[in-house]
Amino acid sequence: MKNLLSRAKHYLSVYKKFVSTSTQVQASFRTSFILLICMDLFFYVSTLASVSFIFDHVTTIGPWEREQLMFFISYMLVIDSVHMMVFSHNFWQLSLYIRKGDLDFILLKPISSIFSCFFREFRTPAMISSPVAVTLLIYYGTSLNISYIDWFLMPFYIVLSLTLLVVIEFILSTAMFWMVEGTGINFLRMQFQQLARWPHFIFSDFVRKILTTIVPVLLIGSGPVQFMFEKSRFELLLMMGIAIIILIQVLRILWRIALNHYESASS
Amino acid sequence: MKNYLLKWWQTIKVTWVKHTAYRLNFFLQIIGPGLVFFFIKYQLWHAIYQGNTDIIIGNFNLEQMIQYHVWGFLISLIAQANGSWNLSEDIRMGRISSYLIYPFQFHEYHTASFISFQMIQFFIASFTLLMIVFANLAPLPNIYSLLSGTLFTFYIGLFWFVLQYLVGILAFWLEETWIIRVIISIVSYFLSGAIIPLDLYPTWLTSVLDYTPFPYLTYYPIQIFMERSVNLSVGYLVISLWMIILMLLIKLVWSRGIKMYTAAGM
Repeated sequence: MKNLLSRAKHYLSVYKKFVSTSTQVQASFRTSFILLICMDLFFYVSTLASVSFIFDHVTTIGPWEREQLMFFISYMLVIDSVHMMVFSHNFWQLSLYIRKGDLDFILLKPISSIFSCFFREFRTPAMISSPVAVTLLIYYGTSLNISYIDWFLMPFYIVLSLTLLVVIEFILSTAMFWMVEGTGINFLRMQFQQLARWPHFIFSDFVRKILTTIVPVLLIGSGPVQFMFEKSRFELLLMMGIAIIILIQVLRILWRIALNHYESASS
Repeated sequence: MKNYLLKWWQTIKVTWVKHTAYRLNFFLQIIGPGLVFFFIKYQLWHAIYQGNTDIIIGNFNLEQMIQYHVWGFLISLIAQANGSWNLSEDIRMGRISSYLIYPFQFHEYHTASFISFQMIQFFIASFTLLMIVFANLAPLPNIYSLLSGTLFTFYIGLFWFVLQYLVGILAFWLEETWIIRVIISIVSYFLSGAIIPLDLYPTWLTSVLDYTPFPYLTYYPIQIFMERSVNLSVGYLVISLWMIILMLLIKLVWSRGIKMYTAAGM
């Protein structure tokens, strides 16, 4: 236990360094910094407005009314903003590390290579845009009278959703080790994000089954939000937990195979 | 003249090979996003209409709504220019130095690459159209609508290329131009009717949009393919006016940028 705590402390101190160096680099490109904030805000507005315009013509989409879907979209915007802040840039960097052979330097370091690859780059501008997403979540959540217990558990739901999303993305990213040009994998990864941004019930039975069991992207948002609306749907959270445990094991195996396959381009 | 055209032809051939060298990557990067975007919209609208073909939402029944998004997908395949990605990298890495001394200019090289890319996309779009007609997702329009719609879509492709070129050469000042490209694509997806038809938008917004190029990027070409009445000359006029403005800006940005260019990446 003591060993585990000291390891966590060590990793936290390394992560602090990652955050501070990323912040320093990004602060020196002020225009890009501001543009990144604008990009997030435009994305929030276009996503919410599109759904709102549809609801000007219909009363429900599937079983959900306007506020319910807006709450779901806001929840996914929060996931997106945290993902953008902590992980997004790292996936793009990984394909470059592999292609140029820069991964060698990461593998030499005495910390987990998964941690070093996927937590290295921190996107500071998202710290400014993410409170907007949180405000939207609170606004729509309040209008739906989300219970106090759910507000209390919200950070847990968000961590659960984010963990499931990134573990799926980590697994997808291992494919980059077998490709000369791995950028396409990032586009594939983004398509899974696109699928997760919509509630599970819009998909046909067959698609829904595949996207909740084999590649459980639909559980990312629908799991916790559906549970907040209907407490009887606890099995969705349970499925998320099981999926995370299984996928982490798959990731560990795949990552090991991928590293064995890695041929340093620079050497 | 023959030698000059040969340079264009060789560049088109080289770019074709470059684009098709990593086919899986090309599929995931260029075709995949549009395909998934269409798939989601297909599922979403089926869920909204709940399979009821009698319901009309913003002048569209379910069948027409699906056709709208099918044509939107095909238009995105042809009109999607991808030039500024390499273009901004060329500037940032100092690779444009060679173009400054070669007898084939920087803008000529990228225009030839654009033509090559359009040719690939046209093949893919034609094949996709055949699949769509075969799968009975949308009927083939009459020959006039098909030709005028395709021509107008190519013109939009040219507009996108000019816009992307402008964004790309901003790399003289900006470290990362991809952010502007993403912002433009978010805004244009939203305002061009690529996500949902503009008929569903509030009237005040659509009347404002008429003064911008956005509706002509997706909504109007779809209307042409769906054989709905469209004033094509207004479309060409608006896009042409915006293209002239963008070209003037390119001239200005290039002349200013090249003065401060230091070939830093070499």
